[in-house]
Amino acid sequence: MSDPPIDVQLIGVRKTFGSVVAVDDVRLDIPRGTIFSLLGPSGCGKTTTLRLIAGFEQPDSGEVHIRGERVTAVPPYRRNFSMVFQSYALFPHLDVADNVAFGLRMRRVARNDRVRAVNDALELVKLTALADRYPRQLSGGQQQRVALARAIVVKPAVLLLDEPLGALDKMLREEMQIELRSLQQRLGITAVFVTHDQEEALTLSDCVAVMRNGVIEQMGAPREIYDRPRTQFVAGFLGASNFIDGIVVDRDGASAIVETAGGRVPVRTDSRVGERVRIAVRPERLRMVAQGGDGLPARIRDIVYRGPVTHFYLDSAAGALLSYQQNAGAHEWAVGTQVHCAWDIDSAVALEGEPS
Amino acid sequence: MAALFFIAPVLYLFWVSLHQPSQSELFGAALTLQNYASVLGDSFYLSIIRRTLGVAAVILAISLFIGYPVAYFVALLPPRKRMIAMLMLLFPLMVSNVVRAYGWVALLGRRGVVNSSLSGIGLIDAPLDLLYTTQAVVVGLMTILLPYMVISIANSLAALDRRYEEAAQSLGAGPVRTFLHVTLPLSTPGVASGTLLVLLLTLSAYVTITLLGGPRSKLLVSMIYDSVTAFQWPHAAALAFVLLVIALLLTALILALLRPGRVLGTGR
Repeated sequence: MSDPPIDVQLIGVRKTFGSVVAVDDVRLDIPRGTIFSLLGPSGCGKTTTLRLIAGFEQPDSGEVHIRGERVTAVPPYRRNFSMVFQSYALFPHLDVADNVAFGLRMRRVARNDRVRAVNDALELVKLTALADRYPRQLSGGQQQRVALARAIVVKPAVLLLDEPLGALDKMLREEMQIELRSLQQRLGITAVFVTHDQEEALTLSDCVAVMRNGVIEQMGAPREIYDRPRTQFVAGFLGASNFIDGIVVDRDGASAIVETAGGRVPVRTDSRVGERVRIAVRPERLRMVAQGGDGLPARIRDIVYRGPVTHFYLDSAAGALLSYQQNAGAHEWAVGTQVHCAWDIDSAVALEGEPS
Repeated sequence: MAALFFIAPVLYLFWVSLHQPSQSELFGAALTLQNYASVLGDSFYLSIIRRTLGVAAVILAISLFIGYPVAYFVALLPPRKRMIAMLMLLFPLMVSNVVRAYGWVALLGRRGVVNSSLSGIGLIDAPLDLLYTTQAVVVGLMTILLPYMVISIANSLAALDRRYEEAAQSLGAGPVRTFLHVTLPLSTPGVASGTLLVLLLTLSAYVTITLLGGPRSKLLVSMIYDSVTAFQWPHAAALAFVLLVIALLLTALILALLRPGRVLGTGR
């Protein structure tokens, strides 16, 4: 099976605002039909990157390609994209149908085709009944759907979304995440969206780029960057994580034995004997076993019941630890109990960079 | 409040206008429509009304034609420079209307600056009759009223979310079409308020009209004053009421044409 063509490409793109480097030598290849997300905290450069793809910002250096065509110097209204803005930016002086039809009118689509396309788009987002309303008469969720319909009706090569679900409440947001994904898969549109919500990125995307200070720290499929974060920042940003420091004392093939303050643990790493490592383990992978087993000894400091899971806060010689246990049945743990914390060697990663 | 301070006096004005004039009282005893008949039936008054409407139309047209581009430019300035530009536009208004009108007299009079310079250069042999014409009234009013139009429109444009224009561009609209289909319609509230301000101020700008128009270029508001100085109160009241109705009709017309309501009321 051949690889799908690359719809969006950024090569060595750099953008500064005054003395601030917003985007620093970014390289992206986004294949056709995939959902790609730019994830990171405020000011990491994700929105600037999106706007560089759109053409609302010009890079100081580097190239932007859409569908193989070099568009770096091309203004936004001649690029093959459409965008859903964070505030939706629906035209207040036009009703829903005219809003959705705007892009088609600009492309001088004939009236009959235009009306049909608008109706199809409104049906896809389930807003046919509201075609005559004005944006100010709609709820936030409805406005978001209109913005989506307006963007997809022009059948763009790439759909850009700037924190599209940010203004919605939690339940509506989760509902729209699923709808967005199914819509995108149905239409096969290449989509790039920006978010600061790691859960959203993991839910929606085929590929996630985690950004910090204008640089992509790690890029990959959701499962890959969640299970195998490369840096402390990525590990911490995507969810809770345990961090355990130690020194490599022995090697055994591809894995090493690390001496931590609480005992020895195995981890897969290239680090050599004598080097310091920081190990990251997700709380749901940290098992607690009764004393006498393998793993780091620890004492249960706090137990927090959370419905489907229970959070266990532990103290060990290697530092504070966190463990999530599914509430599939009763357990005997109580505060103050001494336990051993262990994990599969595949559940842990050694992080890059100097342990701080 | 509105009823007390506005509607009640207007109703009283109408009431006064329905009476015969009187030598000693505000108005006589008998009710009559003679005041209205003499205004609306007399060709002299009708020509005054025509001239008034003509002046209003010309001023509106010019202030829109010049005012919108200036407002567009001002709206694009960064906030501090925009503030300075607006203050500069307001400078003429800081001088009293009377003083300013006399300034125009000094400029446009037979021995004024314009005539002296033109004859000094040798372009004209005899001084031009620039003053005491309808044109002088239009020019004089323009300098006062243009800032209102510019500031109204500039505020409206500056308050526009830039995202609307970006959205239009993301859908394929170039700069010209973005302006025609998005920016211009969304600036309608500013255009409407600017137009109404200019219109209503034109109809009521007594000082400038009288000082620059002289006895030959009178507008409706001047006739009201003339009637008052002749103690023809019911007649003046009738003229005032006619002016009010004209103003209201034109306001309704402007609002119906521009429809600012469909743009207002948006938070995003």
